[in-house]
Amino acid sequence: MCEKADRDLSSPTCKKLREHLAKCPDCVAYYDSLKKTIILYKNYKVEYKGSCCEEVLARLELDKPLQISLPKKSRPKSPKRS
Amino acid sequence: MDQDAKLISSAKSGDKVAFGKLIRKYEKTVYSFAFKICRDKEKAEEAMQETFINAYRGLKSFTGSSKFSTWLYRIVTNNCLMMHRKKSHEPVVSLEDSELFRETGELQVPHWGETPQDAVLNNELKEILDRAIQKLPLEYRIVFVMRDVEGLSTEEVGKTLKLSVPAIKSRLHRARLFLRNELNPYFTR
Repeated sequence: MCEKADRDLSSPTCKKLREHLAKCPDCVAYYDSLKKTIILYKNYKVEYKGSCCEEVLARLELDKPLQISLPKKSRPKSPKRS
Repeated sequence: MDQDAKLISSAKSGDKVAFGKLIRKYEKTVYSFAFKICRDKEKAEEAMQETFINAYRGLKSFTGSSKFSTWLYRIVTNNCLMMHRKKSHEPVVSLEDSELFRETGELQVPHWGETPQDAVLNNELKEILDRAIQKLPLEYRIVFVMRDVEGLSTEEVGKTLKLSVPAIKSRLHRARLFLRNELNPYFTR
């Protein structure tokens, strides 16, 4: 419980908490049901069996700037010096 | 330099093979997280793809001050939020006003009895878990999944969501209580 509350296990708050839990069945039940709620959601796993790699990379290919090949400008020949 | 750092550095210079390796390494984590938020396989897959596209385009802004996985969590969370806001016209519900937290005098604590912690998740129970978490407003759901299910620290969740630690703790407490109350009928019948 202290771990979930981000508290040091040896802190005075946690010590008081442990003392209270030892004599309060309602709080034990309350904590127990919260803990089980978390465990149930942790255990509910859905695995991804495929791979999105090819699709993502194909979409990223579209990011490339368009390269249009233009014909090279023909430069006027400089007159030959004699 | 660890393996991730090398791949990230190559991907930053446009090496898509390196980025492909990063996708393969993290796609299961991203998908699993997206599913836990969206509770829908198609939406989770869409969120995952968008996450990697956004990650590649924004890779230059990744400085390495956090783990790459934490950075991905941030992106996938934003994508899930955006998809939810785009497709849902539900009003934003706050648990602050929920009946659950009103002062009602004596505290009633239903006992869950001998529910095994590793209870087999049959289809009925899965449906109940799905229904319960779908009722939880997304902002609370994200905190619960990040902190309790994925095991990120409160500070990491705070940084990812740009919220203070007390705000995360408050949302987490309310989310846990809400879910526990939704599951009560199943475990106390």
